[in-house]
Amino acid sequence: MSTDSPEAVRPRTGPRPGAPPLPASTEPAPTPPTASASAATPPARPAAPKVPTVLDFYPMETAATTRVAAFFDNLRAGRFTTTRCRKDGTLLWPPRVSCPECHGDDLDWVDLPPNGHVYAFSAVLLGAPLGMESEVPFVVGLVDLDGAPLRLFGRIDGGRWETLRIGDAVHVVPVPLDDGRIFYRFVRDLAGSATGATPPA
Amino acid sequence: MTALRRVALVGGATTKFGVRAATWSELVQEAGTALFRAVPELSAKDVDSLFVGAAEPERFAFQSHVAPLAAELLGIQPRRVLQRTELACASGQSAIRSAYAAIASGLSDIAIAVGVEKMNIPSMAEANTSMACVMDRPWDGAHGATAPPFFAMVAQRHMLEYGTTEEQLAAVSEKNHRFANANPDAQFAEKTFSKEKLLRLPWVSPPLRLGDCSSMTDGAAAVLLVAEEFARRYTDTPAWIRGTGQYSNFHNLAQAGSLTDWVGLKIAAAEAFRSAGIGADSLDFAELHDCFSISEIVEYEALGFCPPGAGGAFVADGQADIGGKVVVNPRGGLLGCGHPLGATGIAQAVEVHCQFTHAVPAARQVPDPNWALVHNLSGSANVHSLMVYQRGGPP
Repeated sequence: MSTDSPEAVRPRTGPRPGAPPLPASTEPAPTPPTASASAATPPARPAAPKVPTVLDFYPMETAATTRVAAFFDNLRAGRFTTTRCRKDGTLLWPPRVSCPECHGDDLDWVDLPPNGHVYAFSAVLLGAPLGMESEVPFVVGLVDLDGAPLRLFGRIDGGRWETLRIGDAVHVVPVPLDDGRIFYRFVRDLAGSATGATPPA
Repeated sequence: MTALRRVALVGGATTKFGVRAATWSELVQEAGTALFRAVPELSAKDVDSLFVGAAEPERFAFQSHVAPLAAELLGIQPRRVLQRTELACASGQSAIRSAYAAIASGLSDIAIAVGVEKMNIPSMAEANTSMACVMDRPWDGAHGATAPPFFAMVAQRHMLEYGTTEEQLAAVSEKNHRFANANPDAQFAEKTFSKEKLLRLPWVSPPLRLGDCSSMTDGAAAVLLVAEEFARRYTDTPAWIRGTGQYSNFHNLAQAGSLTDWVGLKIAAAEAFRSAGIGADSLDFAELHDCFSISEIVEYEALGFCPPGAGGAFVADGQADIGGKVVVNPRGGLLGCGHPLGATGIAQAVEVHCQFTHAVPAARQVPDPNWALVHNLSGSANVHSLMVYQRGGPP
């Protein structure tokens, strides 16, 4: 799997920890009014707070923040992976740190098939969340992975919704975020060469 | 199961639903005023418990710890149970189910369940973002998973597997908007939608158009629930809670399974009907969770109103209308009333009380209703919550 990805599919992210700090307020700090001052002049207008909000969709990815950082390290290396329970063999999606079947925590990483076929899809034409408005209309769908008992939801790039059909072949591509993190999307097989994305080996 | 006390819904009221020039707290106050006006025998000091259905006050109103805030606004000092219930789109019914459990067990005697949501905020993109965190946010939400594309996929599969048409989807929306025209509290009380007009509206997520999707709505609603011995103090026509059921079988969309066969709803409904001692055929009307037109069609099938795949024909033939097999959403549904997440389930229960007491306009009055079902789904139809009510008469 190539780690190169077309610029067109690179998503934008919102404000997040680690992003450049917001510019300091240029308004004067409010001064507590005293009895005499408030009688003479109106109190300083308090500065409206400019604060970042927690509206970042993408996962926490580093070993300092999550116990499944290997998923993202593997993705950078071109591998699409998830966890599997060593005891009962259950394939777990998304990556877990415990098995909800046997409640054990002895898991290992396994490669997932990067190819699949569309089970259902639609597109977002109205009501896109923050950071996704510029991509409207975008296509999302459920994809049956070839040879694995998993049907994953994801973005499907590579063409407009009007030209996609149930059953069309897609593959996973890693997608770098502009803040250094990495995520994945599906891309249509036929559209892969046209957009520059390389189908996985 | 040990013997439970009988629980009655004895009154309720809603605010006007819509894009409201009112804050979260003001909507709670409006619902409180409306409830105390609707139940003049009610005294705040007699209310021992309060349950507050609120889905995302932290996101939409930047307010947490909302249960004591609502208690203060309603003039109640709860001495038995005070709690907020959050179950996304089913937060309101969750408040009623919790009040039911508390009263049935003997912990509470007289409880209010209030539901509220303030969803119209200066940045609707931020509001849409908040709706996306109902899904498994880092794995599904990050791809753009919100309710419309998910239910659009349900519609796409239903069309593929059963031949359901856009016209049949529009029949759901036309019916519910028509009922909403007889409900002054509905968001779309004054707007009429013909099938032809609905089929010309823009796509939200194909095959779902604007008229197939419930709205971002501000609103609140409240009901009074009491133990059997207190019921006659407040009404001659109690709505007895006779059954309830709930089931959840997944959260991440990878575990959704079939999009058109809602197994969780079948299981929850079986328990609700079993505990009520009735079957679907006994229902006079049902308040179903029509967050999208396709939802109501799939619900007819899972509830046994019609065979699998026949939901589109069921509504197009008028079987969900007054005069049909079972009246569905005489209040106007989420499509016609709007969908303030925390308030919806309570407003549906208010409709049950108003139908049983014949207190609604004739255009939406179900003839002689005795049995009613209320259903809410939440998230990606991964949770289903149901309650069965029976009309009680004078003692």
